[in-house]
Amino acid sequence: MSGQYIAFFILSLLTISGAIFMISFNRVIHMVVALAFTFLSIAGLFILLEAEFVGLTQIMVYSGGVSVLMLFGIMLTQHSKVERSEQKPALRIFTFAGILAFFVAVFYGIQKTPWSQEAVDYSTQNNVKEIGVQLYNNYVIPFELVSVLLLVALIGGIIMAKKEADDE
Amino acid sequence: MAALYANNYLIVAIFLFLGILLPVGALTFGRLLRPHNPTTVKRETYESGLEPFGSSWVQFNVKYYIFAIMFVIFDVETIFLYPWAVAYDQLGLFALVEMLIFIALLVIGLIYAWKKKVLEWN
Amino acid sequence: MGQYLEQPLSWTNGLIFAGAAVALLGIVLFFVMYAIFFQRKILGWMQLRIGPNRVGPWGLFQTVADVFKLLLKEDIIPKKADKALFIIAPVLAFVPSFLVLAVMPFTENWHFADIGGGLLFYLAISSLTVIGVITGGWASNNKYGLIGAMRGAAQMISYEIPLVLSVVGIILMTGSLNLIDIVEKQQSMGVWFAFAQLPAFIIFIIAQLAELGRSPFDLLEAESELISGYHVEYSGFRFAFFMLTEYVYIFAMASLTTVLFLGGWSPMFGLDFIPGIIWFALKMGAIVFFIFWLHATMPRIRIDQLMKLGWKVLIPLALLNIFITAIVKTAFM
Repeated sequence: MSGQYIAFFILSLLTISGAIFMISFNRVIHMVVALAFTFLSIAGLFILLEAEFVGLTQIMVYSGGVSVLMLFGIMLTQHSKVERSEQKPALRIFTFAGILAFFVAVFYGIQKTPWSQEAVDYSTQNNVKEIGVQLYNNYVIPFELVSVLLLVALIGGIIMAKKEADDE
Repeated sequence: MAALYANNYLIVAIFLFLGILLPVGALTFGRLLRPHNPTTVKRETYESGLEPFGSSWVQFNVKYYIFAIMFVIFDVETIFLYPWAVAYDQLGLFALVEMLIFIALLVIGLIYAWKKKVLEWN
Repeated sequence: MGQYLEQPLSWTNGLIFAGAAVALLGIVLFFVMYAIFFQRKILGWMQLRIGPNRVGPWGLFQTVADVFKLLLKEDIIPKKADKALFIIAPVLAFVPSFLVLAVMPFTENWHFADIGGGLLFYLAISSLTVIGVITGGWASNNKYGLIGAMRGAAQMISYEIPLVLSVVGIILMTGSLNLIDIVEKQQSMGVWFAFAQLPAFIIFIIAQLAELGRSPFDLLEAESELISGYHVEYSGFRFAFFMLTEYVYIFAMASLTTVLFLGGWSPMFGLDFIPGIIWFALKMGAIVFFIFWLHATMPRIRIDQLMKLGWKVLIPLALLNIFITAIVKTAFM
């Protein structure tokens, strides 16, 4: 099982360092490339957890998402390096408190979740088929709500783009 | 973890490693062979023989915007189609109706974009 | 390969996997060299020229010489370029092109990873290349490069949707995403998906040409207007890796089309004595030839036509095809 640990170690290192670099870089394209590494490593972690379909979906949706983010970065931002303005100490403390509260909430949530004691082996089952059967038998209403959500996003995007284009 | 699953992704990892190794190795090895003599003129940006004018990192046009947004939404939609298609044998007519409603809503979005003429490239 | 996949991992098996992967890499590089050679020969014949004929007999070593020329060329990084991204971009573009081959079954015995979601793996990984293209175009800090990259991105993301939608019909008929299952389904039905799923086949071919950026969809390179687009500032071996990516994708896409639509390694006309790998190579070669043939005959499509075709024709058609397939399947169930 040591191979699995090595893979987990590398992937989590890449995930975290990608996220840290994303915050610390100055240029928007650099940030997006760092973000891409984070997303891809998370996909790797999903695959390591035998959630093949979720991992591949992660790659598919987020690789598209990252390239779109790059386009937006090129289109909508100034590319000269931005000088970071010094923040007020009060704001900094406030930010830190917010992050701490978020961490406590997430940590508490993870601790309180009742995990089943036995690990389930999904690797031999047909992952995709099981998800399909579950989704389209037991979770029909959420599934249809997703389509409404996507429609709203689509129409919202069109209206905003239309407005931008008219302004030019 | 079943042996088949672990072995499959081991192979994927080997391919990933080889895919990184080939360009990195070839470029490092090539450094020994190729000349290295950069001059100011050589390192100039190409612009059809003219002196490069300004930076090319400028803000760009908005018409790419709508295609990008629509791509993300349709990408998510197609992901939902895959487990549906795989499990269709066990789902039957009800699933067909479900998917018809799902797609119909998105087709409404597509028709809306069409009517608003944001799918034109002009 | 199959029996080794079932066994628990040992050092021997790991080395066998690695050796096989290196062998495939060698085959792919050989394919790329001679695909470029044959492309130039075929284009030459179609335009009543001879094509490359100087290096070696019939010019057979022309591409080998080209590779060495690129290897010995000076590596120029423009002063204004974003150096780190400029270096990383060819790698970002190349890695997914080779990685997708990990799930490709060439025959029932000659295959690598046999994962349940093979088709989804291919589609997901291949969509990563666009990141390399945008990064390369942007990092060059060149106007042609950036315009080429932006166009390329718009084209690749627009045609990814019909590409992904077109194969849903096949998944419906097979009930699996595994590429070996898809070939076996075609064998048991006795008919290729190219005929059983004809609309899907046509949409897939068009969308794949657009994804590859091959003629008539070569807008992202467009030599006559963008002087080769996103890799205009690249020279030497960095340029070679963008070129290599393009041809490895031709290999991968032709293999995928063979597996999905042309019955993979299954023989034609009952000629069972010819081994499956030969059949696979023949079918794949036919698709590669078709791609080169289009290069000689088709003019370049305009960008507004490109977008109109993708969003207003191919996506609605692909959705319609999915529903017709589902209804027919329900009727016969």
